[in-house]
Amino acid sequence: MGRYIIRRSLQAIPLLLLLSVFMFLLIHALPGGPEQVIFNPHLDPVGRANLRARFGLDQPLPIQYLKWLGNCLIGNFGFSFATNQAVSTVIAQRFPATLQLFSLSLLLALILAIFLGVISAVRQNSPLDYTLTTLSYFGLAMPAFLLGLFLQDIFSVQLHWLPDSGTTTLGYTFDPFNAFIDHLTHLILPVTALSVLFVAGWSRYMRSSMIETTKQDYMRTARAKGVSPASRLVRHALRNAVIPLITVVAIDFGSIAGGATITETIFAWPGMGSLFFDSLQSRDFPVLLAILILSGFFVVLFNLIADVLYGVMDPRIRYS
Amino acid sequence: MGEYLLEVQDLKTYFTVKAGKVRAVDGVSFAIKPGEKLGVVGESGCGKSVTALSIMRLLPQPPGEIAGGSVLFEEQDLVDLPESAMRKIRGGKIGMIFQDPMTCLNPTMTVGKQIAEALRIHLKLSKDEAQKRAISLLDQVGIPAAAERINSYPHQFSGGMRQRVMIAIALACNPKLLIADEPTTALDVTVQAQILELINGVCSEFGTAVIIITHDLGVVAGMTDRVVVMYAGKVVEMAPTNELFANPRHPYTLGLLDSVPRLDEQRHSELRTIEGAPPDLLKPPPGCPFMPRCTFARSICRTMPPLDSLVGNAAHRKACWVDVTDPQEQAYAEKRRQNRIEKVFARMNAQSGSTQSALEEK
Amino acid sequence: MDIPGQLNVTTSEEEVEPILELTPELVQKRRSQARIIFDRFIRNRAALLGAAFLILMFLFCFLGPTVSGHIQPDVIHPADASQAPSLKYPFGTDYIGRDQFARAMAGGQVSLLVGLSSMLMAIVFGIGIGSMAGYFGGLADNILMRLTDVVLAVPLYLLLFVLSASYSDGSVTSVVFLIAIFGWTYTARLVRGEFLALKEREYVLAARTIGAGHFRIMFRHVLPNAAGPIIVSATLLVGANIILESVLSYFGFGLHPPSSSWGNMISDGQPLFDVSPWLVFAPGMLIFSTVLSFNLVGDGLRDALDPYMTER
Repeated sequence: MGRYIIRRSLQAIPLLLLLSVFMFLLIHALPGGPEQVIFNPHLDPVGRANLRARFGLDQPLPIQYLKWLGNCLIGNFGFSFATNQAVSTVIAQRFPATLQLFSLSLLLALILAIFLGVISAVRQNSPLDYTLTTLSYFGLAMPAFLLGLFLQDIFSVQLHWLPDSGTTTLGYTFDPFNAFIDHLTHLILPVTALSVLFVAGWSRYMRSSMIETTKQDYMRTARAKGVSPASRLVRHALRNAVIPLITVVAIDFGSIAGGATITETIFAWPGMGSLFFDSLQSRDFPVLLAILILSGFFVVLFNLIADVLYGVMDPRIRYS
Repeated sequence: MGEYLLEVQDLKTYFTVKAGKVRAVDGVSFAIKPGEKLGVVGESGCGKSVTALSIMRLLPQPPGEIAGGSVLFEEQDLVDLPESAMRKIRGGKIGMIFQDPMTCLNPTMTVGKQIAEALRIHLKLSKDEAQKRAISLLDQVGIPAAAERINSYPHQFSGGMRQRVMIAIALACNPKLLIADEPTTALDVTVQAQILELINGVCSEFGTAVIIITHDLGVVAGMTDRVVVMYAGKVVEMAPTNELFANPRHPYTLGLLDSVPRLDEQRHSELRTIEGAPPDLLKPPPGCPFMPRCTFARSICRTMPPLDSLVGNAAHRKACWVDVTDPQEQAYAEKRRQNRIEKVFARMNAQSGSTQSALEEK
Repeated sequence: MDIPGQLNVTTSEEEVEPILELTPELVQKRRSQARIIFDRFIRNRAALLGAAFLILMFLFCFLGPTVSGHIQPDVIHPADASQAPSLKYPFGTDYIGRDQFARAMAGGQVSLLVGLSSMLMAIVFGIGIGSMAGYFGGLADNILMRLTDVVLAVPLYLLLFVLSASYSDGSVTSVVFLIAIFGWTYTARLVRGEFLALKEREYVLAARTIGAGHFRIMFRHVLPNAAGPIIVSATLLVGANIILESVLSYFGFGLHPPSSSWGNMISDGQPLFDVSPWLVFAPGMLIFSTVLSFNLVGDGLRDALDPYMTER
């Protein structure tokens, strides 16, 4: 198992390097790239050269890349064009909020998808199954931002049940417990909007995987041994059915991150998503690059976790 | 306690499909004594496996359903036993082995756990006790270094080894009856004999009765006391094994025996096959189901013959109107056979003739 | 002997039981492959509904304006500003008095065209790259798989937003390119997988033995056998692309005026959601139901094309 994890981690390194090259070139090849943005057209040639030297733009691209990569590795992403703050500081302020939204939504989506998928499979072709199937088709056809808008309108604007945006209710001071509750109520809508989109697809997948599993010969062996239905479901079917779902979820990590960006914008959630849009507007390339690299890094990291989980769940992978 | 451990009486199992009801098992009766070894033979699709699954109530439901009859096990009718009581029988009183050992074991569970599961359910053993018992079971079914292999996963075993594990699971709780559904079909020829020997040996040791289901006459010849021959969901002949091979009385059994190539036969002698295919069980023929393929067939075969004992031999029963040992009937059958072959040739010639002429026209 | 007496009969020719035909009607009514698929598709009511809805949607967007007379999506009717849906304006009007019904039809044309053409582009790229990678393996395969890994690792939306902000001029062509530029990866992987599996088949070997060239084998022998999954993914891709276009347009990275799509309409109407909800609802529902229909048709095709689905 240990060797498996190490092997998987080592395989992630070239991917991350490739990713960084790709991102770096993308940002630097953009028309209106770093040069045009930071250089005031009224600047005299000497000042210009000074600035170029200061930002390291006077060196060949491969050198720039290596320098930038080396700095990235020690957590130095340069300075923001817009605010002149260290990029790492800016991101550190925003990162926790995004991580919170991302992981809570992922967790909720997984639990719901597995639960609904199993119910659908067990009650195959029942009215409940048809209802869930219909709902998942609706979920799959709904653009992320539209669902966010509708939820926001219904639950906060019309019904006033939940806050429509932000992380805390402004203008009040709460004791720690109520502050926590207040924060939770702010999380409900964005987390729902983000997770529902993935529940739709994953629960369909879980359903068919579960149905496929219950048809397997070893499920009949379990019945022939006298194993109870509940135990057959939990001990024998569930584990085998979840294994293929892991791959699907891993492929979707990038989409969740993308969806989080959109959801954050709609619900004014102060995470990396809104930072991304701000930076894009102001052409703040160091920040953009850092966000792209970090999101790629985390997607790869989550993929690694999924891989390890896959190995834990499936001995055939672990021992090969 | 009656004479029999298991008595299947007029069992009917139907599958409901869009086009109607498939009569997979249609009035099957047989019985097995404690410790006896019974073979059930027939070509694929004749209802042998469905019979086994019906006894265990393991039919996929829907579409399968036991439509009638009874399955008396220790004088208890399994057909209308509640599911919870049935669970105590499965794995506890009756063990079962399936055809394909590659797919019958859970890939994500160690073999030890899969054996121990049955022990914990039926014998209420603790984790440690079950583990110990599982090791000795693995040892008994001939897996070397059982204490280490217990923590292996199925994919680390070969096909033959997996079937050994299946046998260990099926026999874990010392059942009264073992049902082996084509236990060697999916295995290499070299392993087949070993597995059969193992089943035979272990069951003799434990005094377990065995129903072995197979399409391979060699399997039943080697290890059973009695044989039931099935065709199209019905029992057509039933006899002690030696008697059946020496004195087959049903045209279908004759055909089965004839179609096995034999080493002691003259070279270049004709290998007789049974022409045609089994009937569509959606709309079975009204009389004897074998009639359309049978060279002995007569008008009376349009009504189903009863499964009667032979005169003077109560243990040998057959469901056929015709006495296949009568030279007159044999001559009749031979004539029909020749006739049929000619017809087939004639049709082939006609077809190739028409292609020929079509080609020539071009 | 145990046979009943009446059966001891002579075997005269007349009494011989007629020999039954052993193979009764093997030749049943034969249907062509296309016909079988079509029949299966027709039987799937949800897919049929989706297909019917799509036809209606195309008619609505392309013939609707002339039939209904709502042909002026950009004309301002200040007197009729911010009207709720009525007979005159079935989808209401926006705050400057534009006819939302006319805009919905015009925007639909753009949305559908963008969805379809970016799908076509992605499929063509995907087939080209995927078939090379799957057929030749080696370097081409390696490059493709690493590229796919990278594309999967970066949130697609972020990448598209960056590219759009820098390269796109907001025209239909640029948006189509933008959507297709990464849309091909999924198709490419699918085609690669099919090619990997199919190139080992006997009929490919057979084609090789008679001296067929690589190109011929790839596109005459392998590709037609991979058509099913490709068609299905193409159908699903149209829906996905329509969503993608609406997301881009909603955040201002898609089409710029004067081109407008359903996504732009939502983006325009969103600030007024509280007072004029129809500005968001109408285009939102159009996107939703169109994508839903494409998905239903795609899944219906998948079931109809499934060779393992047998009929009784």
